[in-house]
Amino acid sequence: MIAEAFKGKTVLVTGSTGFLGKSIVEKCLRSIPEVGRINLAIRSSARRPAAERLEREVLSSPAFKRLKDELGEAAFAKLAKSKLAVLEIDLGRDGLGLSDASREQLHACDIVIHSAAAVEFDNPADLSAQTNLLGAARLVEALQKSGEHPHLVHISTAFVGGMLRGLVREEPPLDPGLNWRHEAAVLTTLRGPVEEESRRPEVLKRLRREAQSRMGPAGTPAVARATERLRERWVRERLIERGRVHANSMGFADIYSFTKAMAEHAVVELHGDIPLSIVRPSIIESALDEPFAGWLEGFRMAEPLILAFGRGILRDFSGLPDSLLDIIPADFVVNTVLAVAASPPPDSKPRVYHAASGSRNPLRFRRMTEEATQYFSEHPLRDRYGQAIGTPTWTYPTRGELAAKGEAALRFVSAAQWAVERLPLGASVADLSDDLNEERDRLERGLNLIQLYGVYTEVDCIFDTRNLMSVWERVPAAERKKFPFDAALYDWEHYFQDVHFPTVVRMSRAETVARKGRQPSGSTAPKPETTSVRSAMEKRAGRSDVLAVFDVDGTLVETNVVEYFLWMRLRAQPVDEWPAFMAQMAREAPRWLYLERRSRAEFQRSFYREYDGLDYEVMKRLGREALNAVTLRRIYPEGMRRIREHKRAGHRVLLLTGALDVVVEPLAELLEVEVDCARLLVRDGRLTGDLESPPPAGEARGVLLEEYAVRHGLVLADSFAYADSLSDLPMLELVGTPVAVNPDARLSQVAGQRGWRVERWRMAPGNWRLPMPDPRSPEYKEAVRR
Amino acid sequence: MARPGAVIEVDRNTPPVLFQFGEGVRLEKLPLGARIVYPPDPLEAIAHPERAIRRALGKPLEDDPLKALLRRGMKLTIAFDDLSLPLPPMAAPDVRQLVMEEVVDMAAEAGVEDIHLIAALGLHRRMTADEVRHIVGDRIFSTFWPDRLYQHDGEDPEANVYIGKTAEGEEVTLHKRAAESDLVVYVNLTLVPMDGGHKSMATGLATYRGIRAHHNVKTLLGSRSYMNPPDSALHHSCIRQGQLIEDTVRVFHIETTVNNHAFPAIANFMQKRETDWTAQDQAMFLATKQLTDFAPPAVKRNFFHAMRAPYGLTSVTAGQVDAVHDKTLENVRNQLTVRVEGQTDIVTIGVPYLGPYNVNAPMNPVLVVCMGVGYLFNFYRHKPVLRKGGVLILTHPCRYEFDAVQHPSYIDFYDEVLADTTAPLELEAKYELRFAEDPWFRQLYRKSHAYHGAHPFYAWYWAAHAMEHAGDIIIVGGEREVVHRLGFKCATTLEDAFEMAEQTVGRHPSVTHMRMPPILLADVE
Repeated sequence: MIAEAFKGKTVLVTGSTGFLGKSIVEKCLRSIPEVGRINLAIRSSARRPAAERLEREVLSSPAFKRLKDELGEAAFAKLAKSKLAVLEIDLGRDGLGLSDASREQLHACDIVIHSAAAVEFDNPADLSAQTNLLGAARLVEALQKSGEHPHLVHISTAFVGGMLRGLVREEPPLDPGLNWRHEAAVLTTLRGPVEEESRRPEVLKRLRREAQSRMGPAGTPAVARATERLRERWVRERLIERGRVHANSMGFADIYSFTKAMAEHAVVELHGDIPLSIVRPSIIESALDEPFAGWLEGFRMAEPLILAFGRGILRDFSGLPDSLLDIIPADFVVNTVLAVAASPPPDSKPRVYHAASGSRNPLRFRRMTEEATQYFSEHPLRDRYGQAIGTPTWTYPTRGELAAKGEAALRFVSAAQWAVERLPLGASVADLSDDLNEERDRLERGLNLIQLYGVYTEVDCIFDTRNLMSVWERVPAAERKKFPFDAALYDWEHYFQDVHFPTVVRMSRAETVARKGRQPSGSTAPKPETTSVRSAMEKRAGRSDVLAVFDVDGTLVETNVVEYFLWMRLRAQPVDEWPAFMAQMAREAPRWLYLERRSRAEFQRSFYREYDGLDYEVMKRLGREALNAVTLRRIYPEGMRRIREHKRAGHRVLLLTGALDVVVEPLAELLEVEVDCARLLVRDGRLTGDLESPPPAGEARGVLLEEYAVRHGLVLADSFAYADSLSDLPMLELVGTPVAVNPDARLSQVAGQRGWRVERWRMAPGNWRLPMPDPRSPEYKEAVRR
Repeated sequence: MARPGAVIEVDRNTPPVLFQFGEGVRLEKLPLGARIVYPPDPLEAIAHPERAIRRALGKPLEDDPLKALLRRGMKLTIAFDDLSLPLPPMAAPDVRQLVMEEVVDMAAEAGVEDIHLIAALGLHRRMTADEVRHIVGDRIFSTFWPDRLYQHDGEDPEANVYIGKTAEGEEVTLHKRAAESDLVVYVNLTLVPMDGGHKSMATGLATYRGIRAHHNVKTLLGSRSYMNPPDSALHHSCIRQGQLIEDTVRVFHIETTVNNHAFPAIANFMQKRETDWTAQDQAMFLATKQLTDFAPPAVKRNFFHAMRAPYGLTSVTAGQVDAVHDKTLENVRNQLTVRVEGQTDIVTIGVPYLGPYNVNAPMNPVLVVCMGVGYLFNFYRHKPVLRKGGVLILTHPCRYEFDAVQHPSYIDFYDEVLADTTAPLELEAKYELRFAEDPWFRQLYRKSHAYHGAHPFYAWYWAAHAMEHAGDIIIVGGEREVVHRLGFKCATTLEDAFEMAEQTVGRHPSVTHMRMPPILLADVE
């Protein structure tokens, strides 16, 4: 019956780059060879023309692997060429932006399957309205205008009724007293006012303050970019919130089901004498059998929940344990759509079909968590230390209770994070900071899940499938095997244990095997993940136009400018003067900490004033002594190895640092590399405390690096930079291979977001000393006597 | 007459025996029937060292008196051993100071003006000014430092000369100043039989090129043991090099020996047999044990490294190298030798906090191997105390700890080389040259206070013979991951180690404990 109905017909599938769309195309191609032609509605994107999108986003999908294996590549290409065609349609424009040729193509269609949608529950309001609501309306209007009468199969969602209780019947939507045109107008024009609001002084000021706090030391341009990013995020969040609140106030769970419901109204109102069928799938999950067991693309609804369960992110979840969780495998939805497409309504009255499991094969929420417990007990996920994560026991509190608990925890973690970021501890709190980040992430994701999906676990309704079953009755036995869509045909244990859970875990790329043991305690040796920096080095070996630029303090040596200053000053004065000097330093410390956090450049300016009046030659001598006493003792062996490897590879090596020449130059001489560091003006042999040039921090450092590269003909895109602090960000951004070494909390976050390599280098254990000379040593006594 | 060394069989009345445990000590009960080898008591020290020195210089062996060799206008170079000897460092005045002051005085009397003093440190680290001062004494230091008293630099192309090849093809290099001198006076201190003789000049004033001729796995596997020069391929090679040096420059060799009075009064228990411990010794042991069990490593290290040994001079001999060294070896053996009957299945040794290469630094894991599996194992004549295939049990905490200034090449050796292989021949072929020629290590060796890039390899090679000979090596009390990186087995207690050893040597093995300190040389029949 199904194959017969498609014989020689021309089909149009919208949303064919989406999961459901391409599944439909695949099934048609594989199981209905009699089909005449399948037009795929694809819009050229900014990056790719439509034809290329067909190749890269549809045909290269794993969904087609089975067909390719069965036919062979060549035969498949031939089949695709003969059966598939691109129809350039832009659902975002009135009249669909049709050219004459594509209008002809559209007119020739016998069956139109409309599966294009913005399926995320938390899309911004305007995007959802444009795609889901106006897109559908425009398609129907275009069909109307053509004068043809193809069978239109509109794919909607089972949740268009809002949060109903009891049996939901397969009938056109009740009139809720809403005008879909008005709703569309309201939602699509939201963006303008929100954008405007985001530029109000108080909002912008707050965002800028936040950006300053996060990125301050990285310099003005970085702060400006961060502010703009924050503003864009602010706008998006507002639009999402507007959409959600709007939908909620109309009695819907989210903007997705709201716009889909409005779309049904629009389609029913506009379809006229075009035969119309509406298919309402419930929650679509991975395919049971076709094209292969576990075929799934993109994370939809239950996947984040399942993973959050396995990862221990959701220690508890709200919901009614006995409520029906209506999940339906994707291949069953595909078959439903095809069967419905093959059974056009005889009159102009629209027909509605539920693709749902609730009435034929009910799955209760508790059952799914039990299945998940069983699965993750047998196949636990691993945390970042390679340890198995236990499965939580859910107690199903109410959504409000759970959200309140989560929000309280989130506030606590945020406070802790605020404190840690401001502590002057640098890389030593990196682990703690990472843990807090992870916890915050866990809580935020948990709260988000509760907000988005909590309502679906409280659904107290059953989707009627009598219409669909009457179609099933008409399908002959031979075709039932080929196009199964009766939800009673499979059992949930098999579906979850053998198909769906393994798919979700595989797609998430979660760790499922225990890793090998760690390095010996505190080893300075590189962790295995540094190999990719190594391979980048090997690839660029022998190129003299490659630069490796290293920050010094905190990156190569575990020191900072204060410690050097302390050591050199103490070295030059008798022990009995130490307390007074230390007290004076301690008084200044809070101010320096504050400045350091705001801007590295301001801090250096202020701190270097302390050098005012000191004898330059004496400081140079002390700097040389500090090489053995401080620098070499606190050096990171891995840093030294890396510098030598770069030199062996023929790269140019530069130390770019805000530390003073008197302490950095001895190290650079020993390493036999170039150095660009801060210098103080000297008058009559004494330091003045004024810098010769602006401190090389923040954007100044980036400019210095660029100038240097131009001067020496270096290719920054192939170069390497190693640094530890946010003030080095402009420098890291310039090169092709940035490496965050022992990053502070803020740089660690940035590096994580941008996927930069993060390496932890350590001192050789047992070498840490206070930054003060040994007052008992003969060298010290000698020096003071002099 | 000092009491000679002894081998005591453990019976019910034998008290627990002392094991050195890095910067700590342990008392361990050994199984009944085990043997404990004790070194001889300290020999009588010479009452008037200055007189003995003058006598030796006046009546040298197979050479003219020093006075006759000195003349106005000559170029005189005095070379001396560095701080790797003796261990622990000697309480002031160091015997080398006494000898050098005598030599310098004599030279001054003879009107010699061009005198240079060079610390013959080979590929060891440069000493700090204070460490040099401790060896040469204030008088010489203030007169000659830093222009005419300085340290050998084996990587300075200007300061070294190539002087030829031996009959066996070993290349020989020498410090340029020494090579161009009319007379080189070498002032040595011989603590153990591997020191002194031709090895002093052939390694102390040489470059990597000369030293690699005998500091390699093949030579050291042919040295059974290198603590007994007649059976040591290493020493045969040094003698060949030394003869070539003697053909090039006039050498006047002075060797001194000291007794084994290695610890000051407060740590006397370390060198006394447990049966001889007085109440004071027991109290000191308890105090030390308490301190070292709980104090952080740095505190313990300060405590131990501050100790100076009250060594007494037992002989001073001058003249032609070979003649002098024969006499010196005889004197050393008098102090160290203990006769031991037959080999055993298991040998236990406590590894101390100090070896030749970690003066004023922690003993890193590579040096633990060098000290325990290398030096201490090799203190034998004729045959090892351990039978072929037996089990060597060492006690040392074996922490992952390195001195970043002194041992940078050791850090990379541990992190990179040992992560790849622990087989001496393999790592020699694969890595030694890269480390030896690494410009960063060369810079640190020349300008800071670091051991040469090749030095960790030598430290490892010293242990090659024992690694080949022993069926298993167990380190008691070591950090597990570190011990595994070194390629050995790790045990928590000595009992566990015995239990593990039984898998290799069978039930009821024979056990011998080498009770050091002080050092002993087992003469195995």
